[in-house]
Amino acid sequence: MLLTDYLTTATERDHAKTLLIHGDRQFTYGDVNRAAQGIATGLLGFGLEPGFRGALLTDDPFCYIASYFGIQLAGGVVVGLNTQTSAAGLAYVLDDCRASVLIAANKFARYIQAALPQAPSVQQLVLADAGEDPQDEQPWCTHSFADLCTCPPSAAQMLPYRSACDFAQIIYTSGTTGKPKGVVLRHANLIANTTSIVSYLGLQSSDRVMAVLPFFYSYGNSILLTHVAVGGSLVVNQSFLYPNTILQQMLDHEVTGFSGVPSTYALLLNRSSIASFSFPKLRYLTQAGAAMSPELARRLKGIFPASAIYIMYGQTEACARLAYLPPEELERKPGSIGKGIPGVELQVLDKDGKPVLPGEIGEIVARGENIMAGYWNRVEETREVLRPEGLWTGDLATCDEEGFLYIVSRKSDLIKSGSHRIGPKEIEDVLAEHAAVHEAAVFGVPDEILDERICACVVLRPECACSEKELKLHCKKYLPQYKIPHEVVFVADLPKTTSGKIRKNELRATLLHR
Amino acid sequence: MQENIDTIRAFIVSNFLFDTTETPLENDTSFLEQGIIDSTGVLELVEWLEETFSIKVADEELIPENLDSVHLLAQFVGRKTS
Repeated sequence: MLLTDYLTTATERDHAKTLLIHGDRQFTYGDVNRAAQGIATGLLGFGLEPGFRGALLTDDPFCYIASYFGIQLAGGVVVGLNTQTSAAGLAYVLDDCRASVLIAANKFARYIQAALPQAPSVQQLVLADAGEDPQDEQPWCTHSFADLCTCPPSAAQMLPYRSACDFAQIIYTSGTTGKPKGVVLRHANLIANTTSIVSYLGLQSSDRVMAVLPFFYSYGNSILLTHVAVGGSLVVNQSFLYPNTILQQMLDHEVTGFSGVPSTYALLLNRSSIASFSFPKLRYLTQAGAAMSPELARRLKGIFPASAIYIMYGQTEACARLAYLPPEELERKPGSIGKGIPGVELQVLDKDGKPVLPGEIGEIVARGENIMAGYWNRVEETREVLRPEGLWTGDLATCDEEGFLYIVSRKSDLIKSGSHRIGPKEIEDVLAEHAAVHEAAVFGVPDEILDERICACVVLRPECACSEKELKLHCKKYLPQYKIPHEVVFVADLPKTTSGKIRKNELRATLLHR
Repeated sequence: MQENIDTIRAFIVSNFLFDTTETPLENDTSFLEQGIIDSTGVLELVEWLEETFSIKVADEELIPENLDSVHLLAQFVGRKTS
């Protein structure tokens, strides 16, 4: 079984079924499968060896999806690139993974022209519009995406044999420090994770998801794969600029599912007309990418009383998903990320690899068929996280008596204040429950006496006012004294990585240089 | 109208293009299509509009028809202040 079987099987079952809706355009499974087959034939015509890396830099979902499967049909490994890029960032990734081919939208041409000389492995450039005068003086060949899609099948070019153990995809993770690392995923990893997600979400061919998350990240990638796996449909709008537009599309296309990260829901709840919409067909909502504050979860449930809300947890290193909280447990287990998904075993271990007692903090360690092969060309970093016990996630958590997991923080986020070790997440959740608070980031800053003191950067909701004293008083209601922030700084917004994680190092540096 | 266009344009160029001319900004350039503003940028823009033109932007007015280019913004501000 290979990922490409999802597309071919769904096409054989119903080639006229809609796979993709993007703006005014709709594409059936037959359309996408035909294009993918053409792309595979075209890529083989370039003389690429099995296992080649095919990079994608496009915000056109048809191009992305058809190329994704086309590259894999040709025996290649897909590398989906972040479209919020720079020439240097693009060059780094292309060179790091030694991409042979880049399929891209023309809008990125200026980055590409600057990056390709720094990434000599790229010999073939496929552009949506290659123009009439491909620049022959360049060391790479330029082709048209439309020509590639319509390459006729050739009897002389058999698609290469591949196995489930072959690499299918490399996803670069956006770190808050250091260079991005390529997470290498086999077909078997992604299929195991897809099967599990399909099972617990109960996805069927009648499902139609509103896909707002980019496919080049693991969360968006899993949304794509799970829906193609069941022969479902995707309504794609990945620029979350105008939430009301998304809500209208959800209504127009009668979507049955919606997936977002906490900031997605924060925007929908705080700066959209969501309260004036109703979505009778919306069967479920999923949230991952970071834990959701209990307050946000409660507000969401208030707006979507009939929809199942799945709080989920995962990592790119696990394809996407590691745990989920069943919707029926949302109220009973607020703030929990649930338990391991089917096929995944999760443990909370201390630094010696021994399970911690309920309530104690340890690191989440995961085992399952979905765990990555490793980081691309980074043996040492792979060894650090893939150990005999499984994948050490770097996420600190507690486990209750019933086995439900609660993320405390990232390992590196732990605040050392006096004799205490304090997870900032708990404080952030308390702050977020204040009516005036939109979001908050809590971290340690150096202190002569305490080692670190707790600093909270807080973004207030529009038209809300609140003083530092009020927030400290609010914290005092829910937290022991040593967990109350020493300092509260009001900021307009929180700097985030492109995947939505808060850049605490940047915040900390800004505060220290005031 | 022209005065509003100039003010809005100056804000967009200064805050989202960082005064560079790398991304050409015509008055009809779609912020969405060109990736000039992200979702938090829209909120920043709205806050600035409210402060600068003494208007209140309702949640239901956060739509591309009102906000997605310099021209559309100027027209929106014109309607709100007339």
